[in-house]
Amino acid sequence: MQIYKAPLRDMRFVLNELHGDDGFGPLPAHEEFTPDLIDAVLEEAAKLCEDVLLPLNRSGDEEGCHWERHADGTTSVRTPEGFKAAYDQFTQSGWNALVTPPEWGGQGLPESLGKMVEEMICATNVSFSLYPGLTNGAICALTAYASDELKAAYLPKMVSGEWSGTMCLTEAHCGTDLGLLRTKADPVGDGSYKVSGAKIFISAGEQDLTSNIIHLVLARLPDAPKGVKGISLFLVPKFLPDAAGEPGARNGVTCTAIEHKMGIKASATCQMQFEDSIGWLVGQPHRGLEAMFTMMNAERVGVGIQGLGIGEAAYQSAVWYARERTQGRSLSGAKAPEKSADPIIVHPDVRRMLMTMRAYNEGCRALSGWVARALDAEKHGPDAETRQRAEDFVALMTPVVKALFTDLGLESASLAVQTYGGHGFIRESGVEQYMRDARIAMIYEGTNGIQALDLVGRKMGAHMGRLLRSFFHPVSAFIEGHAEGPIAPMVKGLGRAFEALQGASALVAQRGLKDPEEAGAAATDYLRLMGLVAMGYCLAKSAGIAAKALAEGSDEKEFYTAKIQTATFFFDRILPQTASLYLAIKAGKGSMMALDEAAF
Amino acid sequence: MGHSIAKVCVLGAGTMGAGIAAQVANAGVPVLLLDRTTDGPDRSIIARSALERLGKAEPAAFMSKAAARLVEVGNFDDDLGRVAECDWVIEAIVEKIEAKHALYARLEDVRRAGTAVSSNTSTIPLERLIEGRSEAFAQDFLITHFFNPPRYMRLIEVVSGARSNPDLVAAVSAFADQRLGKSVVACKDRPGFIANRVGTFWLQSAVNAAFDLGLSVEDADAIAGKPMGVPKTGIFGLVDLVGLDLMPYLKASLTASLPKDDPYQAIARDEPLILKMIADGYTGRKGKGGFYRINREAGKVKEAIDLATGTYAKARKPMSIPAVAQKDLRALLALRGKAGAYAWAVLGPTLAYAAALVGEVADDVLAIDTAMKLGYNWKYGPFELIDRIGADEVAQRLEAEGHAVPPMLKLAAGRSFYRVEGGQRQFLGLDGEYHPVTRPEGVLLLEDVKAASKPLLKNGSAALWDIGDGVVCLEFTAKMNALDGEVMTLIAQSIALVQRHYKALVVYNEGSHFSAGANLGQALFALNIAAWGEVEKLVRGGQQAYKALKYAPFPVVAAPFGMALGGGCEIVLNSDAVQAHAETYIGLVECGVGLIPGWGGCGELIQRLSENPRLPKGPMPAVAKAFETISTATVAKSAAQAQEIGFLRPSDGITMNRDRLLADAKARALAMVEGYTPPERPLFRLPGAGGRAALDLAVQDFAAKGLATPYDTVVAGKLAHVLTGGDADMADGVSEAELLALEVEQFMALVRDVRTVARIETMLATGKPLRN
Repeated sequence: MQIYKAPLRDMRFVLNELHGDDGFGPLPAHEEFTPDLIDAVLEEAAKLCEDVLLPLNRSGDEEGCHWERHADGTTSVRTPEGFKAAYDQFTQSGWNALVTPPEWGGQGLPESLGKMVEEMICATNVSFSLYPGLTNGAICALTAYASDELKAAYLPKMVSGEWSGTMCLTEAHCGTDLGLLRTKADPVGDGSYKVSGAKIFISAGEQDLTSNIIHLVLARLPDAPKGVKGISLFLVPKFLPDAAGEPGARNGVTCTAIEHKMGIKASATCQMQFEDSIGWLVGQPHRGLEAMFTMMNAERVGVGIQGLGIGEAAYQSAVWYARERTQGRSLSGAKAPEKSADPIIVHPDVRRMLMTMRAYNEGCRALSGWVARALDAEKHGPDAETRQRAEDFVALMTPVVKALFTDLGLESASLAVQTYGGHGFIRESGVEQYMRDARIAMIYEGTNGIQALDLVGRKMGAHMGRLLRSFFHPVSAFIEGHAEGPIAPMVKGLGRAFEALQGASALVAQRGLKDPEEAGAAATDYLRLMGLVAMGYCLAKSAGIAAKALAEGSDEKEFYTAKIQTATFFFDRILPQTASLYLAIKAGKGSMMALDEAAF
Repeated sequence: MGHSIAKVCVLGAGTMGAGIAAQVANAGVPVLLLDRTTDGPDRSIIARSALERLGKAEPAAFMSKAAARLVEVGNFDDDLGRVAECDWVIEAIVEKIEAKHALYARLEDVRRAGTAVSSNTSTIPLERLIEGRSEAFAQDFLITHFFNPPRYMRLIEVVSGARSNPDLVAAVSAFADQRLGKSVVACKDRPGFIANRVGTFWLQSAVNAAFDLGLSVEDADAIAGKPMGVPKTGIFGLVDLVGLDLMPYLKASLTASLPKDDPYQAIARDEPLILKMIADGYTGRKGKGGFYRINREAGKVKEAIDLATGTYAKARKPMSIPAVAQKDLRALLALRGKAGAYAWAVLGPTLAYAAALVGEVADDVLAIDTAMKLGYNWKYGPFELIDRIGADEVAQRLEAEGHAVPPMLKLAAGRSFYRVEGGQRQFLGLDGEYHPVTRPEGVLLLEDVKAASKPLLKNGSAALWDIGDGVVCLEFTAKMNALDGEVMTLIAQSIALVQRHYKALVVYNEGSHFSAGANLGQALFALNIAAWGEVEKLVRGGQQAYKALKYAPFPVVAAPFGMALGGGCEIVLNSDAVQAHAETYIGLVECGVGLIPGWGGCGELIQRLSENPRLPKGPMPAVAKAFETISTATVAKSAAQAQEIGFLRPSDGITMNRDRLLADAKARALAMVEGYTPPERPLFRLPGAGGRAALDLAVQDFAAKGLATPYDTVVAGKLAHVLTGGDADMADGVSEAELLALEVEQFMALVRDVRTVARIETMLATGKPLRN
């Protein structure tokens, strides 16, 4: 059964206790967001997600989206039953633009809080999350690059959620390699362009939730150079705004089909046809990829949060089942002698699965809290040096968050299915949907392989390793500062893993300089290694805070004790993977590339 | 030979004459600098002003203050008689034949017979210069053509006449080679000799082609610059540097003196735009700007001229040359569009012209290659360039375009101008046979050793070579000859090997610089990933390796040249003796990047300075001097200055000619072998906390005056801590090991400071220090 109660206590722990300011200093822009206010927002969000979005998760999956052709030749997409009402409730209570600056009508809340809300939305209905998610990505790109006129005409309605946004990159023959794309844009002469071409895999490309859809489309100008340096970004609305700014004439944008997918079935994944559609340039000619990557980078952290959300939902559903289901007896003697069998939660292997999921979730949440703190500091940090450091950290951690969280999200979903046994394989249990819904997050917004390449190829070497500093230095200082005390054993383990990461970093940088294939061969293992160390750091820090709270006689003994126990499990059973990852990285590309292509 | 040169007279105190006089003085030889007589109280004001300008020249003309004191000035009327004191008279007056004839006539009366007389003319044939002179004068006369600036340009073209006394020519050449440090290229008495003949043709071809192909100056310089192995200024940048007005002058001189059928006559032309620029004062860097200018009104914006319209606009980023074409000439020539066309238009005719001149201006390709490399700073000479493209490819393309293929190029068909046979570098002669490239006596090049043998030891950053007579050469091989853990490993291995099988070790290489110091990029990466342990290992490893060299049971001689900075300076300091090239720029520059010397530099400099008899006794003077030298990142601008500052001992040797450095260093090492004992370990008397207070006070004073940044004072504080011996008591001696430990301790404290990391990062990213 799909069970979800927002982990508000843990979220508050991350927000208020764990990270402090993380060396990024105070954020004057967010001074008014007191812990009380934050609590209120979290609680309201939890209510909406648990009461409105969660009930639509399975039904949406069963029903899917409907593509319809009408008598007049137009097409439309109908979202599953209940989605429209839920979306209206969502936008009307202001959830759509939680973190958007107030100048465009947003709430201006910190990302640190926004990411927690995102996690709840993803945990309860990842398909639903995509509709406002894409809009927010488009808002980011427009805020950063669009002309003042475009901003004024589009941003207020997108921020309110009245209109939605999409990102149209992929074409049938190109996804990862955007240099190949063919959609073209011809200047009309009045400042607008006619955009023509076909795009696929466009999330929310067509739907019945909003009165207009604003597509951000990558296309080539007539004089564009070949490759990625000849791509421009255009804003193409479904309906051209009329004089009053309301949806007017229908633009030449058609959804020609929707995809039949493995998961996220309630999210409309559209094939889009642009035929002389009127659009406007966003940013500089031929610099479209830059603008799109602003959107993409924000989205990548968001996709990571999808992994975390599903992981948490899977965990809770598994815990519920492990308590309910009775099978066999505990190896140390019956624990529920009044019943015919013990609940399966008594079995070590079931514990292994539950603890693994729990450690992943707490580790990822703590890490995403740190990254979100940097997202805030990047914009609102007290000085240029801090903002730069925050930006470095976000740039470095974006691929880690995206790939690590989504890998672990799927693993958690799979462990949940395993916990359910045969029942997990049956649709009615609800947990198999988590596996199917989680799978796409490892692929879209840049596959996890691309994330790993981004980490070793771009982020690692940038400014001779300056980005790495934003992560390695705080971790190093933490290890040195906690060699004694209650978490010393964890810190010792963290130190070993950190050394492996340092060694791997030097090795990959050195080998990669001489042979880029070596960096490519190490990339995925390296990203995981860094991700595990980052989680380890966050969990050790959490455990330290918990130990202190307990020593000071906190009345939340249960919460803090569990925190330490979860962290200890991570250090005992998960972090040691860093050693084998380091060994694998050291092995180099040899055996990976040796087999003759014909022999495959 | 009987022609020893103990004193020199330079006639004419213009840029060239004065510069030549300075270089003679740099060789430690007294020099008389004369120019025209003026009315007024100081009749020698022209030469005197020239000497004053020399003292302020940038880059410096004198290598030391002592050298400057060797120049005496005078005038042609009162002092010409003193030519009799001199063994060589160098005439460097205006390029007017009448003026030269008149001066030579006066020389006939005053000079001693057997005193060499040479002209620094760049255009007038020797036979015309000696018209009307006595037989004795003609026998003592030759042309010695220096390049500007005379201290730094290594080429000297020597032309002897039919009657010139060969012994005297040999003596002047030997003096130019060994004392002035120049590479002598013997030329025939032809207009423009070698370098300017080929160089002018090359510049003219390149300028013509840029106009003809409608190329921007930025693009032209990007193509005909670094990718061709010529200075990165490219063509237009180079013309700006030497002066636009030089072009019409050279053109007039060469078109007048070369035969009518010389290929240069066909390409010589005056671009109206260039003539207009000269007329308007846009003569290059010395004038209002040239093809490039700095627009100060627009806030120091670099602008470039549009060759079509003659208007300036902000210099654009030049076209990007694919990486492969940056390194491979064939790929550069094969580029489609204007880039490839321009590359060929510059190179093709120039290489053909050079090939046609073999036999005409010099006896062999070697002379032409040497002249272009040393006179125009080409990385490769014309024939080395042809070898890189392929002699057949060049010939075919010339033929296909209807150009004549010079016989010398035909001779190379199917082969190359240079080859290595049996470890011996050989060149193709006019006779179609290969001849060995021979080096003058006293010249030993590692390049030749490397062609003839395999390294004794080698890793990614260093190698060890057997240079004969029981001496080995430790070579740095990384980019910029950066020093890293691999170098230290190789040093340790070398010591073990030399101990068993060899007599002495020389530290030397043939890169552009001896070593710019530790591999900062690698260190920065390590710092960014908080790999403090690795950094400490590197510091300790360097100390161990350097000290092992110092106390090895055989002599170690360092032979620095060019830059020897930071760790590159420290290996010199740890050597038993030094044979330095005169152009050695040595210093402990660590403070600039927020560090202190960590490979024993602190102790070694204190020791050098405490042995300096000019400093007062007691622990403080040497420490204060070392502190001043290191904290200000002082770099000596010559080997002579390095001796003045204290990086080199008074007993260390200086070699003027770069090519003779290795042989001199080897000889010095061999001379030390007999009865060699390693130095004793020093016990330092350091002033401790009391002395440190004085140094801190000085730093505070600097900071108060705005001369030291806040972080400068932090770095200086750590340096002071080491140099004063930490918490040492004056009564205790501080051992070398203790001082090294202090170095490590303070160095490691600095690397953990983000301000040091920021300094290193800025230095690597911009090449400039960060003043934080």
